[in-house]
Amino acid sequence: MKDSLYLAWRYLRHHRAKTLLLVLSLSVFLGLPLVMRAMSRATQQSLLARAEATPLLLGKKGSSLDLVVEALYFQLKGAEPITEADVDAIHATGLALGIPIRTGLMARGFPLVGTSLDYFPFRRLRIAEGRGLAMIGDCILGAEAAKTLELGPGDTLLTSPSTLFDLAGVYPLKLQVVGVLEPTYGPDDKAVFVDVKTAWVAEGLGHGHQDLALAGPDVVLKRNEGTVTANAKLVQYNEITESNVDSFHFHGDPSGYPVSAAIVVPHDEKAGVLLRGRFVDAPTRQLVRPSQVVDSLNKQIFRFERVLQIVVWTVGLATAVMFVLVMVLSWRLRAEELRTMTRLGCSRWKAAQIMGSEIALMVGASVLIAGLFGIVMAQYGETWLQNLILRGS
Amino acid sequence: MWKGARAGTVVMVTALIPIVLGCSKEADPDRAPGSQETDSPTIYTVNYPLRYFAERMAPAGVRVVFPVSEGMDPAFWKPSAGAVRAYQAASLILLNGAGYARWTRYSTLPQARMVVTADGCRDGYLRTEQSVRHQHGPEGAHAHAELAFTTWLDLRLAACQASRIRDALIERVPNAKDSISAGFESLERDLLDLDERLQIVGNALGDQPLLGSHPVYPYLANAYGLSIQSLHLEPDQELSDDDWKTIDAILKQDRAKWMLWEAPPLEATEAGLLERGVTPIVFDPAGQTPSKGDFLSVMQANADRLECAAGVKLCP
Repeated sequence: MKDSLYLAWRYLRHHRAKTLLLVLSLSVFLGLPLVMRAMSRATQQSLLARAEATPLLLGKKGSSLDLVVEALYFQLKGAEPITEADVDAIHATGLALGIPIRTGLMARGFPLVGTSLDYFPFRRLRIAEGRGLAMIGDCILGAEAAKTLELGPGDTLLTSPSTLFDLAGVYPLKLQVVGVLEPTYGPDDKAVFVDVKTAWVAEGLGHGHQDLALAGPDVVLKRNEGTVTANAKLVQYNEITESNVDSFHFHGDPSGYPVSAAIVVPHDEKAGVLLRGRFVDAPTRQLVRPSQVVDSLNKQIFRFERVLQIVVWTVGLATAVMFVLVMVLSWRLRAEELRTMTRLGCSRWKAAQIMGSEIALMVGASVLIAGLFGIVMAQYGETWLQNLILRGS
Repeated sequence: MWKGARAGTVVMVTALIPIVLGCSKEADPDRAPGSQETDSPTIYTVNYPLRYFAERMAPAGVRVVFPVSEGMDPAFWKPSAGAVRAYQAASLILLNGAGYARWTRYSTLPQARMVVTADGCRDGYLRTEQSVRHQHGPEGAHAHAELAFTTWLDLRLAACQASRIRDALIERVPNAKDSISAGFESLERDLLDLDERLQIVGNALGDQPLLGSHPVYPYLANAYGLSIQSLHLEPDQELSDDDWKTIDAILKQDRAKWMLWEAPPLEATEAGLLERGVTPIVFDPAGQTPSKGDFLSVMQANADRLECAAGVKLCP
C-alpha cells in the first residue's frame, strides 16, 4: 500500500499541471456548499443573537427592517427619527428602560452612535483602555475602530461633515477619545460612541460660543435690554473642553430633539406585553421585536441559500463528470504505461491500487483545501456577508 | 510520505470541526462601565438640602454623598471627570430640578438611576427676574439660570421633594419601607412646621417690600407672599458706587426696610444699609453644607430672624 501511494505521489508530482487543475476543480466543488452553509449559519446566528438580545425597539412607523438595521447594526439607512420625548415617555411608564440611539453621522468612516450610559451595561461592553463617557465631547471607540484609526485615550477624533460642499453647514466637532472597548466581534467594535447630547452638538442642534456679554463691538450686531445679537464673527467652538463646556447649550426644548430609535428594556415580561399593547394602534410610532424582524430576514436568506445550493450542486455534478472523464481518458492514455508495469511483474490489483491512490490523494488534497477555505470564510466571511446583506437590503 | 498523509488527515479533521460546530463569539457577561454596584447602596446628591432629606430617611447601610467641597456653590460647581464617574457609579442620583447644577446638563449620567426631585411638584418652575453675568467664588464667572432653582425655600415644595426621595428609596430598599416612611413623616412634620411659621411671617409682613441680595429667593417670596426685589450682591464683597446707586434708586421707589442676605454682609455694607434705614437679615438658603448645625437648624434660625423682623416673635 505504501509503495502504491509512493508511486501515485510521484506520478501526480510529475504531472503537476493536470493534478493542480483537478484538485482545484474538486476543491471548488467540495468547498462551495461547505462555505455557503458555514457563512449562512454564522451570519444568521450572529444577526439573531444581537436581535434576541434586544427585547424591543421603538421607532417611527415605517420599515421595521430599516429601523432594526439602523439601531442594531448602525448601518445608515436613514429611518425617520423619533424624539427624546419618546424615550422619556418610556421611562415615565415605569415599565421599561429606554436607551436612545442616534445614528447618522460618521467619524473617519466609522458610525457615530449617540446613546446613554445605560447602553454599555445593556450590551455588556467593557472598557479595555481608558474610562467611560463623563462629559459631552467625550467618545469611546469600538475595538476595531480604535485599531484601524490607531487611536487611544488622549487622542482626538473629528466627526465627518454631513455634507462636503455645504459651507454654511455644521462644522466637524473634535471629540476627545477617553476610552476603547474590549472586542465583542459585532457592530459595536466598529462604532464611535458618544453621549446623545454630543451627537446633537455634532449635528448642530447645540453649540458653544464666546460669551456675548463680554464680546466686543465688532462681534455684537445689536444690544437691546436683555438681548444681544451677534454677527457672523462670533467664535463658535469646534471642540468641547473643560474650559468651554459650560458655554455649550441647546436652543429650544431638547425633548424635541431627534433620536433614531430607542432600545426598550422592559422590567419584566408583563411590562413588555403591556408596552407592546400600548403601541399596537399608535399612529406614528412602532414598537417592534427585533428578533421577529431578523427572523423574517433570515428566512429570506435561507430561501436564497436553497436556490444557490441547487446551482452549486448542478455545477458540482458537472465537475464530477469532468473529473471522471479526465481520469478515464488519462487511463486510456496510460495504457502503454500499464502494460509496461504488468511486464515488469506488477499485478492488475497493484496497478488498480496505484490508480486508486492517485484519486485518493487528489480528493484528500481537495477536501483539505476546501476545509481550510471554509475556516477562513467562517472566520472573516461572516462580517463580509453581513455587510453585503445589510447594505444591499 | 505516509506520515505526511496522516498529518494531512488530522489537519483536515481538526479544520472541519469548527465549521460543523460553528464559530460563536460572545462578549463575557461582566460589569459594564458606569454600572459598578457596591455592596451597600450609595446615594449621590447635587446639593445639601437633598443630602439632608435623604439622610433623614435612609435606612442603615445606605451611604449618602454630597461631594461638593465647602466654599463652592453647588449650583455652579464644575465636576472633574472622576467626580462624574463617582456619580455614575451611585445607586441613586438625586437631582434638584429647575436647572439646578448646570453641570448635569453636559455630563453623562445614567438616566435610569436619576430622580429629579422637584419635577412635577408644582405646575411650573419660577423664573428669575433677570440674568446678569457676574463672578464670585472660585467657580468663576457665571450667569444665573433663567429658572429660579432654590426650590426648597418653599417648604411645601421641599416636602414634596422629600416624598420623591422616599419613593425612590422604597423602590431600591423595599424591605426598609417602614423605617423610610417613618423618617419621611418626621421630616415632613419638621418642614411643615417651618412652613407654618413662614406663612405667619408672610401674613404679618403683608405687602411690605424686601430686598434680596441675590436672586435666590423667588420660591420663598412666592410661597409666603413676600415682595422681594433681587439684586446681585455678594456678602463677602464690598459694594461699589454703582451698587449703592442701584440700591438708592430701588429705595426711592419701594421703601424697603429689610434686605435678605445669604450670609452676614461686611460691616461697611451693613453700616451703609442701616444708614439708609434698611436692616440686613440673614436668610441662608443652605444649598451648601452649613459650618454649624444642619438644614433644619439653619432654616429655623432663618425663620427666627424673619419672625423677629416681622414682629411675630420677640427679638432676642
